[in-house]
Amino acid sequence: MTIPFTDLDPFQDPLDSILAEVALSVQLPPSLHKKTRSRFAPLREHLEAHPDFKDHIEWFYPQGSMAIDATISTRGTDDEYDLDVVAQLGDRFRTMAPLDILLALEQALQGYPVAAIIRQTRCVTIPYADRMHIDVTPALRDYGTPDRQSRITHAKGPTASTDDRLVDMNAFGFAEWYRSRTPVEVPFAKAFHRRWLDHGGMEVRADAEVDDVPDQTDFIVKNTMTLALQLVKRYRNIRYANYAGRIPPSVMLSCFAGYAAAPRLGLAEAVIRLSNAIILEIEAASRAAQLLYVDNPAHPGRDVFTDRWPASIAQQNEFAMHLRDLVHSLEKMRKRQLAPNQMMDELRRSFGDRVVTKAADNMATRLGAALETPRQGFARSGALILPAAAPAIARPSLVTAKPNTFFGVKI
Amino acid sequence: MVRPPLTIDEQIADMRRWWPSMRAYDIDRDQEAARWVGHVQPQFTSYRLELRYRVWGNPEVRVLSPSLVRQPGNPEGALPHVYPPMDDPTLCLFDPAAYEWHPHLRIAETILPWSFKWLACYEFWLMTGRWVGGGRHVDLLPRSLSGLTR
Repeated sequence: MTIPFTDLDPFQDPLDSILAEVALSVQLPPSLHKKTRSRFAPLREHLEAHPDFKDHIEWFYPQGSMAIDATISTRGTDDEYDLDVVAQLGDRFRTMAPLDILLALEQALQGYPVAAIIRQTRCVTIPYADRMHIDVTPALRDYGTPDRQSRITHAKGPTASTDDRLVDMNAFGFAEWYRSRTPVEVPFAKAFHRRWLDHGGMEVRADAEVDDVPDQTDFIVKNTMTLALQLVKRYRNIRYANYAGRIPPSVMLSCFAGYAAAPRLGLAEAVIRLSNAIILEIEAASRAAQLLYVDNPAHPGRDVFTDRWPASIAQQNEFAMHLRDLVHSLEKMRKRQLAPNQMMDELRRSFGDRVVTKAADNMATRLGAALETPRQGFARSGALILPAAAPAIARPSLVTAKPNTFFGVKI
Repeated sequence: MVRPPLTIDEQIADMRRWWPSMRAYDIDRDQEAARWVGHVQPQFTSYRLELRYRVWGNPEVRVLSPSLVRQPGNPEGALPHVYPPMDDPTLCLFDPAAYEWHPHLRIAETILPWSFKWLACYEFWLMTGRWVGGGRHVDLLPRSLSGLTR
């Protein structure tokens, strides 16, 4: 079947489609995405109402997964989300010790209408009743360096320690770099945006023309590799669900995704490509008896994404082994070597029972609805082309069929 | 006036045109019969499919490989919308009471695409336990379907 990428729903491939459904189930849903944005301003206003912070917040911006639209549910959950925001602080904080800055931030956030304010080693966590957490990380700008290159606080507390320090970072620069590596893929973004709204129970016209979608800035996931990144993060969360120590950090995975991004990848292909990129780097490091080293391309040599993981070569080799399992499993699925029930077993092991069951159920419901219309077509391979790809149905390479009624006995 | 059905040669030509992966075997012009075998890939898995047809008879489709998976205890039966026997089931693709199939129709535009739909529904039935393709089950097959074209 040769239908140009631009003509076709990029999730028409059944495996890509079920993987996209899995990603939809684990990423920030439309309702919470809207809520998150609306939470930043009151948070900043609350801080600025405190005399220590008044006129001393220079920037208040999302970092981490939120800045690159790759947020998924927290490890061990299907519906909790950790989001990160950087509070770039002004001059009065520049002479303070890291722990004092964190204590000041914790103090200023007291009284904010949430159940608790929790000081961590590098941030202060605000847990909301809907199980969203926002981590506010205080940062001090390194003036005269590239945009928003900063240092963030590191202090375990509760008392000052010789380990307390400021850590180099440029989360903003990294997000810019990542976005430049993963530009908007319009057919993908449109198709995914439609699914995302539909998944979140938002109204979306089933017969909307392909151009009848919001402006590009409204797209949440814009590039196939970002969806692949979400799936690899989810896979890591499942594989390390019962693991007590540190796990491969999301920002490191994001950095690999930026390097591995390429135009016109299918989703399964992108997951395999990203996994293989990580495997190769780990193998090279392990062969040289070194720990994996990944730094921020926007702040090389100073903002090190692997500073807290891996702690040993065995640890990095273990992650490479997990990724090899994922690649092996997806390759079997791509080669159509698994029966659908075996494929479900593999997907459940990789991404979790609930989300995979839900993904298959959503697809089955969509298939049932599509079969009630006369709009399905068939590719020469026998592939069923559903109305999501309606513009392609009229193509001469597809066969249509008159309606039928399955019959028979139950055996 | 009775309209003649499509000939086996017309059906063979149509099949070759639309589904080149399904190759015709055992062509018997005296009996107006043929058998097609080929690999198809409706959704997640690749199948080797066989279609047998004799003019004026009912087309018969079976999955040669992989073996169809049974789910005992499923509300739709261990294997929905098939004709027995259990060890060699054929797909029930149309309701004879609805006159959906007759020999003036092209099997390339009916029976084979319906088989792909059946396989897609079968796959999701395996994945979710739900048969989303609709249809009708009966306790006893009509006599016209109890001895198929073999």
